[in-house]
Amino acid sequence: MSQDVPPLGQVVATELKPSTPHQFHFWTARDAPMGIGAIVRVEHAGRVVFGVVTDGVAYSDLATPMHAVIGADGDPVAAGLEPSERVEIRLFTASVLRQMPEEPLQPVPLGPVWLASDQDVALALRMDAYTAGDRPTGIPVGLYAAGGLESPVYLDCDFLLGPEAAHLNITGVSGLATKTSAVEFMLGSIFGTFPRHKGSVAALCFNVKGPDLCFLDQPGALSDEDRRQYARLGLRPEPFEDVHYYAPFKPDGVNLNTLRTHEALAANTQPLVWGLREVLDYAEVVLNRDDVDAKADAFIDFLAERVVGREYQDDMLRGKPFLVQSFADLEVFFRAIFDFMEVLGKGGEVWKTHHLATIRKVRNRLSNISTRSKGLVTDDGVAQDLPWGAFADRSVHVVDVAGLDPLAQDLVFARVVSKLREHLERRDLGVDHVVVFVDELNKYAPADGAETYVRKMLLDLSERGRYLGLVLFAAQQFRSQVQRRVVGNAGTAVFGRMDMDELAMPAYATLSPAIKIKLATLPKGELMVRHPHFTQPIFVRFPRPAVLGGREGIERFPPGPELPFAGAVARQLRRLDRRIAPSAVEALLEGRREDDVRRALSATRRERPADPLAFFSACLGRRVNGEVVGPRRGVPAVKHGDDGYGI
Amino acid sequence: MVRSLVNLIHLRRALAVRGLTLAGSALDSQAGREEGRIRPARLLEDASLAWHPVPPPAPWPDPVAFLDGVQRSVLLAYAGAAPLVLGDAAAAVRERRARRLAGVLQARRVLLIGRPAALEAAGPAVGGVDTLALPTDEPPHPGRDLANAGRALDRVRGALERSLGEQYRRRSAGWLLVDGPLTESPLWAADSHLVGIARSHATLPFDGPDLERFLHLPAAHRTSVYQPETRSVSPVLEWALRLWPWEGKDIFHGLVRVQVAPENGTPERADLISRRILAERAPLSPAGDGWDRLLYGMHTVQRFLRASTPY
Ligand SMILES: Nc1ncnc2c1ncn2[C@@H]1O[C@H](COP(=O)(O)OP(=O)(O)OP(=O)(O)O)[C@@H](O)[C@H]1O
Ligand SMILES: [Mg+2]
Repeated sequence: MSQDVPPLGQVVATELKPSTPHQFHFWTARDAPMGIGAIVRVEHAGRVVFGVVTDGVAYSDLATPMHAVIGADGDPVAAGLEPSERVEIRLFTASVLRQMPEEPLQPVPLGPVWLASDQDVALALRMDAYTAGDRPTGIPVGLYAAGGLESPVYLDCDFLLGPEAAHLNITGVSGLATKTSAVEFMLGSIFGTFPRHKGSVAALCFNVKGPDLCFLDQPGALSDEDRRQYARLGLRPEPFEDVHYYAPFKPDGVNLNTLRTHEALAANTQPLVWGLREVLDYAEVVLNRDDVDAKADAFIDFLAERVVGREYQDDMLRGKPFLVQSFADLEVFFRAIFDFMEVLGKGGEVWKTHHLATIRKVRNRLSNISTRSKGLVTDDGVAQDLPWGAFADRSVHVVDVAGLDPLAQDLVFARVVSKLREHLERRDLGVDHVVVFVDELNKYAPADGAETYVRKMLLDLSERGRYLGLVLFAAQQFRSQVQRRVVGNAGTAVFGRMDMDELAMPAYATLSPAIKIKLATLPKGELMVRHPHFTQPIFVRFPRPAVLGGREGIERFPPGPELPFAGAVARQLRRLDRRIAPSAVEALLEGRREDDVRRALSATRRERPADPLAFFSACLGRRVNGEVVGPRRGVPAVKHGDDGYGI
Repeated sequence: MVRSLVNLIHLRRALAVRGLTLAGSALDSQAGREEGRIRPARLLEDASLAWHPVPPPAPWPDPVAFLDGVQRSVLLAYAGAAPLVLGDAAAAVRERRARRLAGVLQARRVLLIGRPAALEAAGPAVGGVDTLALPTDEPPHPGRDLANAGRALDRVRGALERSLGEQYRRRSAGWLLVDGPLTESPLWAADSHLVGIARSHATLPFDGPDLERFLHLPAAHRTSVYQPETRSVSPVLEWALRLWPWEGKDIFHGLVRVQVAPENGTPERADLISRRILAERAPLSPAGDGWDRLLYGMHTVQRFLRASTPY
């Protein structure tokens, strides 16, 4: 092959700039299409060396700047009009990607230099080891392009989704680095090419910013160039087929807390509702570590094991048993304790070995949670959750936490990731691999600040997830603001347009000044990729994701208006039965307590009865007339009691 | 630290006060190989030698080419008293189009130079290298033989230059600028597109007040056109041209003699060619290479030849 195309350059080595086994220098004609990031091949005397250009210099034979001034007689205009152009050199520095043969390892030979062809790129990046053969594991990440040549670049899914290495981290400035877009593209690429022999894969995305990930099931606008790139990468530019959206309610408990509220998108957008039990299990997530001393822990354990979700009988407190299923129930229970202690007067410092101060503290913290995660936490104690155990291959689950209080966000993060982990450990999630996408990682795993449960969890995920098939794709503007170990564990690191100040941080010291300049000026859609198989970072270009972006999505599918209570209830019921008239619902709600309405609604949603309105009305009715049943028990039993996802 | 016994600045100032013209450069840099002599020329343009301001510089039209040569020799051994020298002579033409210079012709000869007996003595040890025998009309003398070897190599280089120059002119209608005088070749001396630029001034064309005018020529001026006295049969015309201000430096600073075929000797042609040469002052040749007189195009020829020296 080298014989067909003339070389573009020639390796030079001097005592001051010698060839080494890891670096070499070569010169080219002035107009050669050579640039920083280009992959080159040196071939000489039976040895082939691949390198990537990391730096370049140009200079002329001008002895000192003063000679230019004298020559132009002090006139810069004249300087450009000199009849002869000075002799100039274009001298590039390249870092070795691969030597063939690898042994004995020798300095790069002083041979001719070519731009790398497709096949060269595959060899240079050691992609031959995983893109060829009968069990290939290559996942396209983009196109490497230089000097009119263009080659697909593949990541090795054994190193992207485990078990050899895992995780992907992407860094770059807002809006220009195309971080979110790159992750969307990568997920599409994984879904399109993840090999059958590696099993099944699903994605779980946390939408943390406005409408960012709200339209993954809708096609986005692509240019012809985008389509050409998809074709070159062997990918089909299509939105995700199997997407599920989960969003908690707003504090009113009936309007969804998401920007994906357009009628046309309602079918696969469902509420995310958790009960007191789900929250209590993750109490330590949301309780400040300093607060939860051993004593508080013990009391929380007591609540979780003995009180919540079961009948608790204590004749000293109350004649009839407590059934604590919601924060409201819990508050009744606490009140009973405090009333009882007050009656005891001076002697009432300790209740069942728990100090009164501890009980007060736990109550304050828990009520804080209920206030701050109102809308996520149900009043009737019955959860509507993700389909644990029923994740389908190539399904995407988006949990919209963008509108949640940070404390509630942490709770959602912690519980969802922990559940994924539990199920993957037991191999009963429904898929073998899950990619968890966390945008704005710096918020959840900051480099400094107090140790939080979420940060510990993300660290643990980054350290051990690869053995479980639990993979973290994360994005942030500034890598330096994320905990070192979390980003350090990402086998694949991607960089979009970077901020110069960020590049000045010691972590980037290994990058040449030229690479830094390239990163600081990288156009949209171009990325620098580090991957275990690549000895050096490689620049690639990727097409726009085939899904509708947040901003365009909001225009095409404007969020439905936030409805007054009755209207919102009617909207939810109409999802179950289009024939239900809003006026009928409004009439039904007349004079009801909102709590009761929410309960009835949630029961109806869960039950999916043949006649939703009648069922809903019955639920309401029983609650209103029903002193027969216990105070908070106006709800039909849950069919699939363990996860509440009864379909 | 040794204090300088003579304060050069004070000394120069004192000489200037007495009306002398100051010189700046170290002596050996401008002394030619030849002995200094005066060969009176015949003035053609004015009654006495005059200065003519050159109109603003104007670059040469494309293509224009530069011809120069280099030589180098090393003393290899002595055969008895007779030295054996390895000489390398090379010449090249670089042509300029659209501001870019590119090599178009080159020639090189590597020669073993010595008396026949010395060459004989070397025998097959230097097999494959062409030989050049030195004259034997005088007995061996290491110093004289070395000087003879140098002159012989000079002639070889001159022959290479002439041959390349003629080749170039046969294949191109463009101008060719030659480093040195044109008188070496009758073909050159008659060629209307050849310009010789002589940088050494061992032989001066005037004496008396004309010489003083000659040597004090201001920057961007030329002298009257004259016909230099020459032993060669080919008449050429000549004028001096000052490329850079010499005041405060040296009377030879930036001074070149321009040689052309007789048909280019009209005042108009002299002005035109001078304007074009002035345009070649930039880019500057590197310091140390006699940048005040060496055109950049010539410099690149020399550097190209030196970079490819075989030993
Ligand atoms: N492959 C691409 N080529 C060109 N432009 C692209 C490409 N991918 C995305 N873009 C455009 O770049 C813009 C920014 O993309 P994106 O939102 O992914 O950036 P981001 O780095 O996630 O920004 P932020 O930090 O604000 O979240 C979008 O307007 C998008 O249309
Ligand atoms: Mg983003």
